[in-house]
Amino acid sequence: MLAEERRARLVAAMREAGIGHMVLYGNAWQGDYLRFGADFGILEGHGIALIAADGEVALFLDSATDAERAEIEAPQVKVHLAPDIARVVGARLDRVANAHIAAAPRRFLPRWLTDATRSFKLDDATAVVDRLLMHKSAGEIAAVRRAAQIADEAYVEFLRAVRPGRRQYEIVADIEAHLRRKGCPDNFMIIGSGGKDVFGMTPPSERRIAAGDLVTTELTPAVEGYFAQICRTLVVGKASEAQRRAFAVFVEALEAGIAAVRPGARAADVAKAENDVFRNYGLGEYTTSQWTRVRGHGMGMFADSKPHILEDVDTVLEPGMTLIVHPNTYHPDAGYIVLGDAIVVTEDGAEVLCKTPRQLFEVAA
Amino acid sequence: MRRGLIARSLVELPDAVFDARLDRVRAAMQTAQFDALVIYTNNTRPAGVSWLTGFVPYWSEAVLVVPRQGGPYLVAALSFRVKPWIERVSRVDDVLHTPRIGLKAAQQIAATRVDAAVGIVDFDGLPAGIAEDLREGGLQLTLHDASALFASLRTVADQAEIALASRAADIGLRALSAAQGNTLNDMIAGVEGEARQLGAEEIYIAAVPDLDRDTRFRRIEGEVALGKTFALRATVAYKGTWVRLVRSMCEAAIMREVSARFAQAVASLPSGRGFAGFRSWLVEGCRMAQPLDPLIGSRLGEGHPPLPGALVSVQAALAVDGQAVLLGAPALIGQPGAASSLIANLLYD
Repeated sequence: MLAEERRARLVAAMREAGIGHMVLYGNAWQGDYLRFGADFGILEGHGIALIAADGEVALFLDSATDAERAEIEAPQVKVHLAPDIARVVGARLDRVANAHIAAAPRRFLPRWLTDATRSFKLDDATAVVDRLLMHKSAGEIAAVRRAAQIADEAYVEFLRAVRPGRRQYEIVADIEAHLRRKGCPDNFMIIGSGGKDVFGMTPPSERRIAAGDLVTTELTPAVEGYFAQICRTLVVGKASEAQRRAFAVFVEALEAGIAAVRPGARAADVAKAENDVFRNYGLGEYTTSQWTRVRGHGMGMFADSKPHILEDVDTVLEPGMTLIVHPNTYHPDAGYIVLGDAIVVTEDGAEVLCKTPRQLFEVAA
Repeated sequence: MRRGLIARSLVELPDAVFDARLDRVRAAMQTAQFDALVIYTNNTRPAGVSWLTGFVPYWSEAVLVVPRQGGPYLVAALSFRVKPWIERVSRVDDVLHTPRIGLKAAQQIAATRVDAAVGIVDFDGLPAGIAEDLREGGLQLTLHDASALFASLRTVADQAEIALASRAADIGLRALSAAQGNTLNDMIAGVEGEARQLGAEEIYIAAVPDLDRDTRFRRIEGEVALGKTFALRATVAYKGTWVRLVRSMCEAAIMREVSARFAQAVASLPSGRGFAGFRSWLVEGCRMAQPLDPLIGSRLGEGHPPLPGALVSVQAALAVDGQAVLLGAPALIGQPGAASSLIANLLYD
């Protein structure tokens, strides 16, 4: 049902933009545009969906294994196994070369398809689809809400999994197994552990958890292709006074960021509200790109979608957008700390989807 | 996005292995008169860059530049803060960070030689934005498709890669043996947890919940009822090397019989004649950057027959007394005159 609703919105947007055929590209990293139109969560190889003005979808995949999976997971679309995907799609587009054809995200398409010598021209419709991806319907928000609930539950599991002596990847293994047991097929997570020598989160390493560690994670499970994220930090053992004081800045910044979320506000306003808290404590340096990437971001069919919450991003927030606000950065007295909640922009502000307390958790040393 | 263990092992992938691979690549570049080779990577297409450096992007994208003279360097869209991690898990001379990786790579190459001849692996499949940036960053560079050059080197496995595939296969076997519980999700959780506890870089699990109804694999979301017989597939990555294994849950006697038939069919590869009588079959392997490209199979027509010495993963379906059975395991293609062989046991605990 969500898939049909999405496709109807896509076809309407195509009509409004005068687009006769839409070309959607996806791979396992950037799969949201493809999934929006074709309702298939790609894992391997390239995927290209051709959406006709009447809503008919042809899905081309160059992985034989994924093509078989698509036949059963996306039965409403016509699946084509196409090991030489660019040329097979190109042959299809040759037939409609006189129509207005557009692609999203065009920059990821195989170069061969965008070559000037082709009979067809592919305009860039990334912004058209971005708008659809950012503005969620009630059904899409419900899926993000369920994903946020799963993220909360997974963090409880994370608290159980972190014990001195365990390696980072063993902890992640526990979380992934927990999510599969709950029927959740996908997740994105990174982790960090240690002290002031840690400057961010990465995929898990062989490092063993030790007493006194700050352990950071962002958990991002998906429901029906919609991701929701939570960021939390814990201490192995009793938190020090310095760690507590540092964490309090992040709580204040998160609260300020969420308070700034309202229809008509810009992504930049949210980032500024978070960063101003750090500036007030003389920590403005730690809001720069040397120490942190973004102060939050959109969530939906991609774990890190638009808009990025940064002071130079002017995207205007509107009801129905789902975001994570996370003032994650380095604190010179404690190390790298993360804290973030998934939210949905409402008519008069923000609804917080994560229910996990905003506290510096402690687990047994 | 990748979330298993990503760590460099100097035992499994010592410097000498990367040096030997780079020497072969540079020799081919010399013959082709390429001044530099460019290989793109993201988490769907990591197998070219990881083969030369060990680098696997868990997120985002990068290009590796291999100059004909000098060490390889990475131009990554990952932020500067990730630089220490990249240097820890891979072997590159330098890492440059920029959102426009094509532009920066071209500028770097052109700084050494303004009209350099640049070979690009999978040039046709390169993301259009990066191809445009490569042209913009080096107006006098000449860009050439280096797919055939690279594939001729990448396709054949060396001893290090065979050892990694054997390790990945062992992880897959042990993980599929951990498929325990009352529900399909319990079993999938067992497989997932075991594979990751054993150090898998990634695992994708798919299931056929009821072999009497459908024999196509799918990813499971929510609760799904199990049939009398069913199958699980584990696609496992270990330090950049990918294998697929399939386990059907059916009578032990049937499994013994079909396993023997499967091994016999695999022995005939790269000819597919051994699979006559099977319902379907598929051989996948790495040609350039995708870890498991479709090579030959019942749905593929002419395809790309694997070369002697290539690592492949084979999946097949057959029926015994009306009972559908699915199998899958990695294999090594034999040298001319020698049989191909499985590198994993097909009989599970």
